[in-house]
Amino acid sequence: MTYICHELVLISIFSILAMSLNLLVGYLGLASMAQAAYYGIGAYTAALMSLTLNTPLPLNMLAAALLAGLSAMGISWCALRWHDDYFVLATFGAQIILFSVFKNWVSLTNGPAGLGGIAQVSFFGFSFDTPFKFLMLAAPVAFACFLLIRALARAPFGRLLLAIREDEIFTLTLGKDVRRYKVTASAISAALAAIAGALYAHYISFIDPTSFSATESILIISMVIIGGAASLTGSLLGATFLIVLPEALKFVNMPESVAATGRQLLLGLSLVVLMVYRPQGLLGTYRFGRNQ
Amino acid sequence: MRQAIVYGVISGSTYALIALGFALIYNVVRFFNFAHGAVFCAGAYLNYCCFVIFRLPFWLSASIAVILAALLGVSFEFLVFKRIRKRGGNSLVLLIASLGLLISVQSIIAMVFGNEIRTVRSGLVEEGFSLFGARITSIQFNILLTSLLLVLATSAILRWTKMGTALRAVANDPELAATKGIPPQKVIYFTYLLGSALAAVAGIMVSLDVSMNPTMGFDALLYGIVAVIAGGVGSVSGAYLGGLLLGLAQNLGVWKIPSEWKDAIAFAVMILFLLLRPQGIFGKRIFKAQV
Repeated sequence: MTYICHELVLISIFSILAMSLNLLVGYLGLASMAQAAYYGIGAYTAALMSLTLNTPLPLNMLAAALLAGLSAMGISWCALRWHDDYFVLATFGAQIILFSVFKNWVSLTNGPAGLGGIAQVSFFGFSFDTPFKFLMLAAPVAFACFLLIRALARAPFGRLLLAIREDEIFTLTLGKDVRRYKVTASAISAALAAIAGALYAHYISFIDPTSFSATESILIISMVIIGGAASLTGSLLGATFLIVLPEALKFVNMPESVAATGRQLLLGLSLVVLMVYRPQGLLGTYRFGRNQ
Repeated sequence: MRQAIVYGVISGSTYALIALGFALIYNVVRFFNFAHGAVFCAGAYLNYCCFVIFRLPFWLSASIAVILAALLGVSFEFLVFKRIRKRGGNSLVLLIASLGLLISVQSIIAMVFGNEIRTVRSGLVEEGFSLFGARITSIQFNILLTSLLLVLATSAILRWTKMGTALRAVANDPELAATKGIPPQKVIYFTYLLGSALAAVAGIMVSLDVSMNPTMGFDALLYGIVAVIAGGVGSVSGAYLGGLLLGLAQNLGVWKIPSEWKDAIAFAVMILFLLLRPQGIFGKRIFKAQV
């Protein structure tokens, strides 16, 4: 039971990451490879605030979201000069640079050894100290993110993002400030990823750089693509699938190390097969990246 | 100082081979082929397999590895990229599919050979000799020589053979090339064959000089991309010089900046180039992002 709850908490956290990234991939058609870096910014901000100032989770989340949102504004303001594959490269570069910062700025992040002893969350004397209790916190947060992103996507803001995705120059001719919308969407996406990071830091209570590497970014974008671009339920499905998969492989008596590689293999193959036969993903409707 | 420059040129000449193959493929098919890293890694492991496990003579095992890895590169085009293009996928879809191929090949290699770091060392390695006042091993000397010869050979193929001319024509304007009766698909296969062979040779070189592990393809690919962008996208000689420069910059940079920031520096350089000089050092054309 504890084990299942632990998996569900991880699914909640990764659904937030996948849904927030979907705002960029699905609604704007921008494949960002830096989502794990924003997730890391959130986790490190929350961890450091909790360890040095002993602040509660909501405040840490807010600070994490602000910091990640601001850094995303800076990064995307640069990266948005480019389209499609150049945008991928630029965000990839940002991801690797931020990962180096997590790993090598030892005086702040304690380097590869990681930060431990992050406080358990408690509100008014009720402590979320077991996976089951933490699920009571993580699942509603994930659901709130789902509602927020869905509301954004249905609002005029979301329709404008779709318009940019479909025809950027035409949207420009309507007098819309395309770059500002793109930067705003990137900032919102990064802020939500940072909230997931804060949850993760307080849940696991130990973080190290490997959770925020380029491999994790690829995992998150695979969740979005497998589930389906511009489909939030697709992202939920993708996150669930890729989190449960290695556990399922363990149940068929695969050793843990092989199970991790097995997930990578299936992830790679499903990306290839989907790109050939179904670029819109399992539940998506938007055939992203088709030639216009 | 001299030692750092010589080491820089040595690691630069392997980056340069990767970048050269990568740029060739990019120029013809116009997408960032991440699967290039898979071919690089496959080359190294196939050579390991033939040389260390089957105990074949080195020249034979290296040739087998290069041929098989080049065919692997072509098979990616045959099985995946061609189909995506037929279905109207753009460069982003191709990029993600190639990333999927890279991840798949990496995990297959990790499953077969394990995750540990391996080396392919023959007995001769320890002998060092002097070159411009810096000590290098005979293997490093051979790497320099092979890399130089391969670049000259590639330029010769591009310049003087019929296929090379066709390749340049397709890279320049595929539709115009097609009107002249150049079969684009044949040229694309040839490009993958040539580019992948170069990557496989680079993979074998790295496994001889340094070491190999299943994720080596990813790292090499990233350096290759940085080299291509620094040298100028679209320029084949620029890619080669970009690789040499990256190797030099990294080895000289270690003097001032701790080596663990190597990756971050490489990417900061790439982002600066993209921001300030998107046509690269040697690129002539002004690069224009397509909407």
